[in-house]
Amino acid sequence: MPTLDDERFEAYLKQFRPLLPEPLPAVALSRGARRTFALGAWAAAAVAALVLVALTLHIRTNRARVTEIVGNVGNPEHFQESQPLTMRSANALMAKAPSFKAMVDDMAFRSQTVPLPKGKHSVVAVLGKEKIKL
Amino acid sequence: MHRTDGNTAEIELLYRQHGPALLLFAQAVTGERGRAQDAVHQVFLKLLEKGSLSQVVDKKAYLFACVRNAALNDSKLRDRNAPLDPDSAWFSPPDRDYAGEQNLRRALEALPSDQRQVMVLHIWGELTFSQISDLLDLSSNTVASRYRYALAKLRDSMFAKENSCANS
Repeated sequence: MPTLDDERFEAYLKQFRPLLPEPLPAVALSRGARRTFALGAWAAAAVAALVLVALTLHIRTNRARVTEIVGNVGNPEHFQESQPLTMRSANALMAKAPSFKAMVDDMAFRSQTVPLPKGKHSVVAVLGKEKIKL
Repeated sequence: MHRTDGNTAEIELLYRQHGPALLLFAQAVTGERGRAQDAVHQVFLKLLEKGSLSQVVDKKAYLFACVRNAALNDSKLRDRNAPLDPDSAWFSPPDRDYAGEQNLRRALEALPSDQRQVMVLHIWGELTFSQISDLLDLSSNTVASRYRYALAKLRDSMFAKENSCANS
């Protein structure tokens, strides 16, 4: 091979291109990770919002239920869902009943309106049928 | 952190434009691709973290100076005669001339470190003798003479090898 002059030799050397360096970690961070971070932040915010809404609903529902129960505790209708005992109904019962005791028994057990499941008996009703001498 | 997107974009552009030549220069100083890559990354990461190059007049020469300082900061390289890694390629050869690439790399390896740096800076870094003299803190005449010596040695080394291969 003939010897090249300086200019041609320099041109020959320049044909060899230096290899590309590896990408900068911060450049990769500035593009890929910035996007990933934004997506992650949005997803986390959405999940947090959903959890917050679910918790709020749960707490409100529980509070309403507790309020309802507390309100019902002092309400006699909660226990006696049939007609309330009035003077009129007491007089009517006394007129129909064969005796005073029978009328009192009727008044005492008339709140038994909830039907019991088959094969089960109310303890009060059973005791009421027994003949106990006081 | 005070960087802006504009500064980041400018630094990324500089990395794309001058990264290969800077890496080659760092390899010429350190002798190892891994350490050279670390030196180049170190310089650009600092630039990304700390600031802008808006006040730098000659950005390319400034980058070469930074890379040189980063490479020489390695205590193992203070003797500046670190052996070059013979296995890692330095260039992408024209027409897949891998033998030519190896030949060039060995010829560069045979040069003294100061001549090799001047050669890389002028041929592949495309810096003028004036810029190189500022960078290496040498007179322009010294730079020019080192370059002439290096070019002659490189040519002799490469073509002597090719002729010996052709004759054998």
